[in-house]
Parts: sequence; C-alpha cells; structure tokens
Amino acid sequence: MRKDRPHAHDLVWCDSPAALDAGAAGLPDWARECWHAGLPLVVRRAPLVGGLLPVGLRGPQRSQRHPAHVRLDRVIRRVTPQDVARARGWRGHPRLDSVPPLQALIAIAPWLDDWGVDWGITGATGFELASGHLALRRDSDLDLTLRCPQPLDRAEAQQQFALLQSAPCRIDIQLETPHGAVALAEWLRGGRCLLKTDLGPLLVGDPWQAAADQEIAS
Amino acid sequence: MEKIHLEYPAQQPAARATHVGVVGSGDLEVLAEPGESGKTVIDIRTSVDGSGPVWTAQLARLFAAGRLPAVKLEINDFGATPGVVQMRIAQALEEIGHA
Repeated sequence: MRKDRPHAHDLVWCDSPAALDAGAAGLPDWARECWHAGLPLVVRRAPLVGGLLPVGLRGPQRSQRHPAHVRLDRVIRRVTPQDVARARGWRGHPRLDSVPPLQALIAIAPWLDDWGVDWGITGATGFELASGHLALRRDSDLDLTLRCPQPLDRAEAQQQFALLQSAPCRIDIQLETPHGAVALAEWLRGGRCLLKTDLGPLLVGDPWQAAADQEIAS
Repeated sequence: MEKIHLEYPAQQPAARATHVGVVGSGDLEVLAEPGESGKTVIDIRTSVDGSGPVWTAQLARLFAAGRLPAVKLEINDFGATPGVVQMRIAQALEEIGHA
C-alpha cells in the first residue's frame, strides 16, 4: 500500500470495526446496523491528528452519512478515485442499462483521457465501482475529481466542460489543487471561488495560490 | 428532498441581486434578490432530509435580529457543511450590498 497520507475521497478499508473511533456520541443506529469492516470508509477533508484519519461512513440513504476517525495503522486497503477510473469497472457492469452515471462514463471516459487530465471517480459511483456494494440510484449525479497540481488552461477547460454537459446525467467536477478542492463550474465562472481545505472552506481568487490572507469559516 | 420556508424581520431592500455557489455535492447555491422592505423570506430545498432544525438554527443566528437588508433568498443545498453554508450566505450578502 502507498505510504503517503490518504487524500479526501480515497476509499479505505480497516481490519476490524474496533479500528473505528466514532467519538463520544458513538455511531447512529443505521450505522451500527449496516456498517461492517467489509465496507469502505470515505476519507474526509480534515486534518490527520494523532494517527487518526478522518473518514465518513456511508449508508444506503442519502441522509445516512456519519463522520468518524479510523486509526491509520489499521487501514489495510486503499483505493483512490484515479484507481477507480483506471479499472474501467463501468464496462459490462450489470447495472449499466439502469444507471445513468455508468452510461455517462462510457461516453466521457475517452474525452477525459484525450484531455490528458488525471481524473478520478468519487461519490456514489466511485463507491459502487470500488466496493461492489450498491450505492448508485437512478437519479445519482456523477462526481469526478481532477488532480491539478498546475492551473488548467481555462479555454480548454471551458470547451471540455461544455462537452461534458451532453452526458446522460449531471456531472459534478472538482479540481484538486495543492491547496484544496474547487468546483470546475465555479472556477470557470470567474471571480472568487470556494476552496475546500483541510481546515475548512475559504473564498479565494486563485485556487492555485496559497490563501494565507483568507478567512476560514468556523 | 426537504423544503423549508423561513421569514425574518429586516431593514430596507438589498441593493441588487446575485447568484453564488454551485449545484454539487457538499455545496449549495444561493440566489438572492432584493426583498420587500422590512421582511426577509428564505426558501430552502435540501437533499438532506431531517435537516430543518439545523437550517433554522443557523439562519436564525444571522437573520433573527433583523439588522440585515431585506432579501429574498432561494437556497438549493446539496449536503453542504455548516461552514460552507455560512461562507456562501456571507458571500451572497456581501454581493447584494451588505459588506
């Protein structure tokens, strides 16, 4: 397994439910009933403190999300959004005919590859493709992340963004810069955009510039 | 999907309209326009069922005192954290002319 710290949206598996720290309040009822160590945890965008990795549990309902921590030394497997994209699991998927995000991937994966961006799949689609556990619904969006150490070419991004609008479902694309994540749609609009960082959201003019002068929301 | 309707006292109507935020997981969009003098009306559509009390508490902290310009806010929420909600609403209020 890679030794660098898992990033937001990576999926991680731990060796036993005992590795999970749900805090003083414990897990909600739904999580106690349906979560088990065979299911991945979704890494959250928050600081790693004392060897505890911030993660989220995902239940079958949209409202069933719960933050927790897992001991980093008990993480036994990790799948990044880019790993999910490279595995091409939507091809021949048994639910391809009924789930628009999978159909969208058939169409757009070649475009993203041609664009040359380091793209990955997050959200319900990433969860289902990586784990085999049902998470997608008929009305699910397709959530994508683009690793962008350098600023994108705006004109080219605009062109690709327009092309992606023709997909059979709504596509939400986040750009992962060295400082956090920003929505492609908002960055293309120009002006300030909301950068999601480990320490909270920031409004910034340029998501590729360190934003020391910006205020972090409580 | 849950719908929440809130009303608060307010000052004179805001100076202009704005649109901030985006449709997408963990975010929200806020459409703001000048409201009727003395009254702020907020309509929220959220993907998070059962989040009504959280929204009501968070918006009351901002609007209940009635010191802000009158606005009509339409909020479409896709599971934003309270920090993101606060920042987006502050951004909208700033852009409609309340710094």
